[in-house]
Amino acid sequence: MKVRVEKLTKRFNDVTAVNELTAEFESGKLIALLGPSGCGKTTMLNMLSGILPVTDGKIFFDEEDVTDLPPDKREVGLVFQNYALYPHMSVLENICFPLKIKKVPKAERIKIAKEYAKMVHIDEYLDRKPKELSGGQQQRVAIARALVKKPRLLLLDEPLSNLDAKLRVEMREEIRRIQRESGVTTFFVTHDQEEASAISDYIMLMKKGVMQQFDHSRQLYNEPSNLFVADFIGAPTINQLHGEWTKEGIKLDTYDTVIPFAKGNNIPINQRIVFACRAEAIIVSNRGTVKATVVDTYLSGKDVLANLQLGEQMLRTYIADDMNPEDGMEVYLAFKEAGVFVFDEETGERYA
Amino acid sequence: MLRYKTKNDEVITPKTFLKPTLYLLPFMIGVLIFTVYPFFNAILISFKEDFRVMTDEFSGYGLGNYAHILSDSTFISSIYNTIIYVVVVVSISLIISLFIAVMLNNIKRLQGLYQTAYFMPIVTSSAAIGLVWRWIFNYDYGILNYILSIFGQDAINWLNNPKYSLVCLCIYGIWSMLPMTIILLLSGLQNIDPQYYTAAKVDGAKSKDIFTNITVPLLAPTIGLVAIINMISAFKVFEGLYVLFGGKPGPAYNLYTVIFYLYDQFYTKFKVGYAAASAIILFLIILVFTVLQNKIQKKYDYY
Repeated sequence: MKVRVEKLTKRFNDVTAVNELTAEFESGKLIALLGPSGCGKTTMLNMLSGILPVTDGKIFFDEEDVTDLPPDKREVGLVFQNYALYPHMSVLENICFPLKIKKVPKAERIKIAKEYAKMVHIDEYLDRKPKELSGGQQQRVAIARALVKKPRLLLLDEPLSNLDAKLRVEMREEIRRIQRESGVTTFFVTHDQEEASAISDYIMLMKKGVMQQFDHSRQLYNEPSNLFVADFIGAPTINQLHGEWTKEGIKLDTYDTVIPFAKGNNIPINQRIVFACRAEAIIVSNRGTVKATVVDTYLSGKDVLANLQLGEQMLRTYIADDMNPEDGMEVYLAFKEAGVFVFDEETGERYA
Repeated sequence: MLRYKTKNDEVITPKTFLKPTLYLLPFMIGVLIFTVYPFFNAILISFKEDFRVMTDEFSGYGLGNYAHILSDSTFISSIYNTIIYVVVVVSISLIISLFIAVMLNNIKRLQGLYQTAYFMPIVTSSAAIGLVWRWIFNYDYGILNYILSIFGQDAINWLNNPKYSLVCLCIYGIWSMLPMTIILLLSGLQNIDPQYYTAAKVDGAKSKDIFTNITVPLLAPTIGLVAIINMISAFKVFEGLYVLFGGKPGPAYNLYTVIFYLYDQFYTKFKVGYAAASAIILFLIILVFTVLQNKIQKKYDYY
């Protein structure tokens, strides 16, 4: 089912949690609502579920206006951050509950519930109580309970935040698999950009209630629309060097050499800018014009991660191990075309 | 040196034992004098034949006191009255309290004010409450008969007709049990994670479904606890009886409860042995019910 929101707004007293958000979400996709805490992503999810009434704007499921429908009429499945499994019911009873409310005959609802239990790989534990399950297992039960009523929309509120790191990676792949198998349009709230990038088809990145960018997950990384997006997506965090745009190229503060940059035609001369480059967009070698000093190095998996200094500004990148990087060494930098951006220093708008 | 290890592998020596004991001592002395000693002494007295409390004389140990009261029809009827009172009052007050507590819990505004209002009876003197209830039950001016008259019913002589004395006592008992029960249930309700309600609502559950499928089962541990507390206090019913009927067990001495029987034997007839024996029998009855209740309770331990 396709979801469309028009100028969706939510205000709590004088705080605007979601501000005039307009977007259309394709059917059958996994969409991540991403952003730092307080950005309005959970508010957005709760408005989609109907738990929170909207202040202004409209929500459409396909062509149907559901803005004023209560949660139970919207046919959504919701998975809570702490799962909210009913502690007095067994796994099977928990999964059956939405069907019981719908007055599905007992034999039939047990049959359906067992199918979903199998799908989420929890069918061995049907008689257990939630407290006898691990976090990951509770998560599976919560997903099965949300899916059992065949919702038009599946909503997951920070579903992985209560799991340990290893299980988190496993469960996010499980969520991906279950979403693909069921084919239900799914929204997934998270503050972890890596998690969002790893499993979602689309990411909507929000900041203070305002949508920053909504696109294919890859696009947010490759073509961030502003500095906030560039900064939020990707690990290690994108390097940000402050400076000024000149006729010859980028003149960084406290650094003498001007860095040539080909795509800067639309930048006004003397404009204050942020030159942002991903670690992997920087080529470090022994020859060149842009000189930097190695401050310190870390081993990060197969790569050496180094902090470099240009004038008084710092930059982090990978150095090939065979260069034998050591502290205080002088190296030269070159920049690839992809993964290098120029933003307005004040507004964060992207120039190139 | 005396050494003893606790579960947490802390070593208890006379030195580490002494300090906490000193802190506990004032309380322990009180408990020993006013609870432990009287309890065992009552057991002892209940077996003393022909016990005279003033001179501390008795003719020997035996089951004479028990034999006497168990053949006393007043005592048997007092057990009967007490059990009816317990069953009626505990169950009805629990049901009423449950509904009031759920409603109070759903009140968004002025919740504190309402909760205080429901708590008021606890801090009001029982003599004053007795007066108010005597007025409520009054034949000529009472509000209860006024309400009956609205529905075209004849006035009932609540307090003077022996037929209605148990009803009066139960109404009073239910009423006096409400505040504490409501407060306890309310605290239980407030411990239920509101996410369960949200989850159920998203699944389409109506208030009625939520109440029976979520609220009551999740509140069951609290309900069980409150039931035990109320049951124990209801078995000891005395005060209400005393204030309602002006110190008599019912208008025609028809409504003895176990504690009233005990009081009567002790203070009016000075039969301390009978009083003690009746106390021990009441203790055994309460013990049996409590153990039963605890057994059932175990089933509802989800967390």
